[in-house]
Amino acid sequence: MIRLEDIRVTLGCFSLDRVNLFVGRSECVVLLGPTGTGKTVLLETIAGIHRPNSGRLLINGEDMTRARPAKRGLGVVYQDYALFPHMTIFNNMGYGLKVRGISAKKIAMRVKDMAGFLEISHLLDRRPGRLSGGEQQRAALARALVTKPYALLLDEPLSALDKATRNRLRRELKRIHEELGISILHITHDLTDAFFLADRIAVMENGKILQADTPEKILSRPASRTVARLVGINNLIEGRMTSQGLETGIGILRVPAGEHLPAGFRAWAAIPDWAVHLFPYDKGNRYLWTDKMRITEINITDQMLRLRLANENGGTLQTRLSRREAAALPLSLEPGSSVPVGIHETGVSFLLS
Amino acid sequence: MNRFSLIAGAAGTLLLLFVAIPVIRMILAADPAILAKTMAEPGVVASIFLTLKCAFFATMVCALFGIPLAFILARRDFFGKSIVSGIIDLPVMIPHTAAGIALLMVFGKRFFIGKAFAHAGIGFVGTEAGISLAMAFVSLPFLVNSARDGFSAIDPRLERVAETLGASASRTFFSISLPLAFRPILSGLIMMWARGISEFGAVIILAYHPMTAPVLIWERFTSFGLAYARPVAVLLILICLVIFSVLRFIGKQQRDA
Repeated sequence: MIRLEDIRVTLGCFSLDRVNLFVGRSECVVLLGPTGTGKTVLLETIAGIHRPNSGRLLINGEDMTRARPAKRGLGVVYQDYALFPHMTIFNNMGYGLKVRGISAKKIAMRVKDMAGFLEISHLLDRRPGRLSGGEQQRAALARALVTKPYALLLDEPLSALDKATRNRLRRELKRIHEELGISILHITHDLTDAFFLADRIAVMENGKILQADTPEKILSRPASRTVARLVGINNLIEGRMTSQGLETGIGILRVPAGEHLPAGFRAWAAIPDWAVHLFPYDKGNRYLWTDKMRITEINITDQMLRLRLANENGGTLQTRLSRREAAALPLSLEPGSSVPVGIHETGVSFLLS
Repeated sequence: MNRFSLIAGAAGTLLLLFVAIPVIRMILAADPAILAKTMAEPGVVASIFLTLKCAFFATMVCALFGIPLAFILARRDFFGKSIVSGIIDLPVMIPHTAAGIALLMVFGKRFFIGKAFAHAGIGFVGTEAGISLAMAFVSLPFLVNSARDGFSAIDPRLERVAETLGASASRTFFSISLPLAFRPILSGLIMMWARGISEFGAVIILAYHPMTAPVLIWERFTSFGLAYARPVAVLLILICLVIFSVLRFIGKQQRDA
């Protein structure tokens, strides 16, 4: 396990401000945040490359705040693999064992085992330069894992890969985590990576951790609007609480019974795209709000349609639906046409301003 | 080919000819018979060998001190780093005769450093040590700067990964940084050696004797004229060309391996 207590780091223009973070045994924590927010600095601080100005870092209960990187027993994998270009994949993987003074015979055994586990046995004699991105990243993972570290620190390990490779390696990371039971701290700005892999997500911006919780909790109870925005909740609507509900630019939203929002206060409704339904009929009484809206913009990608909607008062929403959902609708979607829209209670959360 | 490439190519060709024609003309003008006779002169051969040896020694000693310095300059930020870099570049900028006089004032017997070396049995005036010293002083920027650029070009994350994998800082240096910067360092070593061999100004002030090849060429030119100086010059150029071609070739092999 890794525990950060009030870690502060200043490094050039980056600074981390009193970061507290915990990665439990066999837990996968994803540090999610936009590019340039100090995630890599945090990871390299944990790895021992940067010295914190203050705070404590515990690894397996031991104070490692000032320990050299070599003593920490952490495996680091970077976005661009950082394989040693002058060594074969075998020697790359064997490096961490060789510097520990392990015999050549044992090195060969462990490297071959790990290469088998990550399906790169056929690449052992090759140099990194001629391998594909996916192969290189497998080799980098294998190099980190073969030394049996306490934890893996992954710095955007999937970002440089094409989509298919990325999907395959994402599942591979999950398999590694499940089969080896290793603790992982994974840095990414990609929501798919975060929600697929994380036991817990820590949302970070401007050198601060804003919220750390399970993916479901973060989605259903974002701690702030910034968190809501960073986990991809695109509709943030401000309003004032009245006895009927939240009075907003698109009308009055019914507030579910469980929410305790005092009347008279201002509050935000955080509504993910998937809670905004088109043609919201015959689905029981679980809509917080329904009305007609005009489609102002449609963006179509390979799989999805992204819609912007507006009503007469200038209130706007956006939603997304798959091509299959769109095909099942009773009319074709065109910019300018008017459609019935509903906000479903699942996924909607309320934040006091 | 566009017009810019044509103009750039033409300009570059002129520059190449500017360097190549004098050298080629000198070599072609040399009478093989005289060249052979010159090669048989013990004084000439000894002075060329002395030049190569002193420059080589200077290069090796500077490598020991200069390569770690280059690594620090490439990797660390510290107060006064630009001053350190400026000091390293200083020998390129000052006239080499002036450099020789400056060295004489420090390593001559009137200054405590020179005295201390003299006590240890090392004199720098009129000795091989003095020749090496003068060569080292004027040529070390080539090594340090080339090595520094080599280290700078390595992704620091390779070194970081090595350390997280358990390697000590020195192990990381020897197993990752040094091999990856091998080519620029070798190139720096060759440049420094070559620059040392060709040094005249600083050497002649510290040590007229024993006579290095550039000093011998100059002495023959002033005492006996062009005809006597030229064969030695041609010989020195030919030997250097062969050596440096071989070294460059070895460096290339290493990279391609």
